Amino acid sequence: MELAIEIKNLCKSYPGRMALDNVSFSVKKGSIHGFLGPNGAGKSTTMKILSGLIPETSGQYIVNGKVGFLPEHPPVYPNMSVYDYLKFVFSIYAGAVNEARIDEVMSKTGLTDVSSRLIGNLSKGYQQRVGIAQAIIHSPEIIILDEPTVGLDPVAIADIRALILELKKEHTVLFSSHQLHDVELLCSDITLINRGEIVVSGAIETILASLKTNMVLKARVQSFSKEQKNKLISTFGVDSIEVTQDLEQKNTLLKIATKGKADIRAELARHLVDPSIGLLEFMEERGDLEDLFKRMHE
Amino acid sequence: MIYTKKVMILARKELKDSFSSPLIYVLSGLFSLMMGWLFFNYLIQSTQMTTATMTQGVITPIFGNINFIFIFLCPLITMRSFAEEKKQYTLDLLLRSELSEMQIILGKFISNVAMVLFMLSLTLLFPLILSFSGYSDWGVVASSYMGIVLSIMAYTSVGLFCSSLTDNQIVASLLTFCILLGSMLMVISVNATNNYLLALIVQYTTIPFHYEGFTRGVLKSYSFVYFICYLVFFFLLTLKSLQSRKW
Repeated sequence: MELAIEIKNLCKSYPGRMALDNVSFSVKKGSIHGFLGPNGAGKSTTMKILSGLIPETSGQYIVNGKVGFLPEHPPVYPNMSVYDYLKFVFSIYAGAVNEARIDEVMSKTGLTDVSSRLIGNLSKGYQQRVGIAQAIIHSPEIIILDEPTVGLDPVAIADIRALILELKKEHTVLFSSHQLHDVELLCSDITLINRGEIVVSGAIETILASLKTNMVLKARVQSFSKEQKNKLISTFGVDSIEVTQDLEQKNTLLKIATKGKADIRAELARHLVDPSIGLLEFMEERGDLEDLFKRMHE
Repeated sequence: MIYTKKVMILARKELKDSFSSPLIYVLSGLFSLMMGWLFFNYLIQSTQMTTATMTQGVITPIFGNINFIFIFLCPLITMRSFAEEKKQYTLDLLLRSELSEMQIILGKFISNVAMVLFMLSLTLLFPLILSFSGYSDWGVVASSYMGIVLSIMAYTSVGLFCSSLTDNQIVASLLTFCILLGSMLMVISVNATNNYLLALIVQYTTIPFHYEGFTRGVLKSYSFVYFICYLVFFFLLTLKSLQSRKW
């Protein structure tokens, strides 16, 4: 497998603080690689180093190809029109301006309709698109996006996601996020970083599978008695059931933790539909990033 | 050739940016109002002076004032150069591009000087008015303009440096103003000493001393050397300031 980015023992220290501590991972060519971590974990620092903005303290990295970079805050000039801005970025990154390429990038990022508007007047979602357009305008092989979906509304997030998937056809994408959901939908590989140290790096299926030893299901039912609880435990062999009364909605919440990797959702749902219990809601509790980190430390 | 082309791309963009914001027009209006008023006063006064020529009575004092007023106005023009880019997070965009740090500095310098020259061009009306009354000492006017252009370039280079230090435009403009005025006031403070050599040296390092020769129509080679050194010095400081992110 050809590598687009290879990082070996990368360290970055600021006075009195280690921002990155022996970070090593690699990004496969043509993949979408998710870079996950809580705030202040060192995601932005790594990305800034990869894009050549700040120097590393020690270690080395290889980036095979031109890099397009979208920083945390899209670097846009509010009193420039979208078209003029992209033309300017193109001219300082590539030298010769190719107007057909600007049109192509604008249609790809959905900016054609707003091409003559001032960037400062656009919504945050559109500004983010301008930021992505800026990163891909000079046809880089590798695109680094730093939290491209932060602060956007759900529709805009979905748009940006679709755009990132679209980019995969021609580019290698490394993008950071602190939302596991984003990453699950887009990435083939992920790297987790916490407090400047890599927690785990690899294919997303293997990482998620290794974490999901048991499943937590949440159900909302009309009523749930002690006998029913005991019956449920004995029939399905679940690990534990947590019963809480929701006084506001006058019904009961169940939190069921299953044992092992077997998928018992269908049977369990069938059981709960029983008129004496009265199933209202049934869902699998998704582990969020915080949960993931917590489990990793265990 | 490619080098200057890239500088000009940035300079053109900066100019377009500046002329689409109201600041430059407000400053230009203020500037021409003040200068017009002063010019009018000097003109009225000069009719009562029988011993002084038009050059001594109008041109020399008006250029002295232009120079002084630009100490206040140049910081206001240059303050946004880097400070605003930092605030908008766009400085990184420029630094990551194919432009070198020096090209960025030169591009900003050219656009800022061009803006101040635009303001200065409004004063071309004064010699035009004088020419109607038969004024003919154009050598002094030309050398005064040359002097003021060199001073403006010096002020701008200081302004760029101060702007690169901070992301706050007000701090940048005040700092520029302090450096410019402070260096000007040095001449006054050396008056207190009896050391002739020290006074000469300090005097040589200030802009007004060199500028003054130009307004009298005297072009001294060491003044050109002084201005070039001044620009290079502040360009280098700005360069170091931009590179400081890598420290």
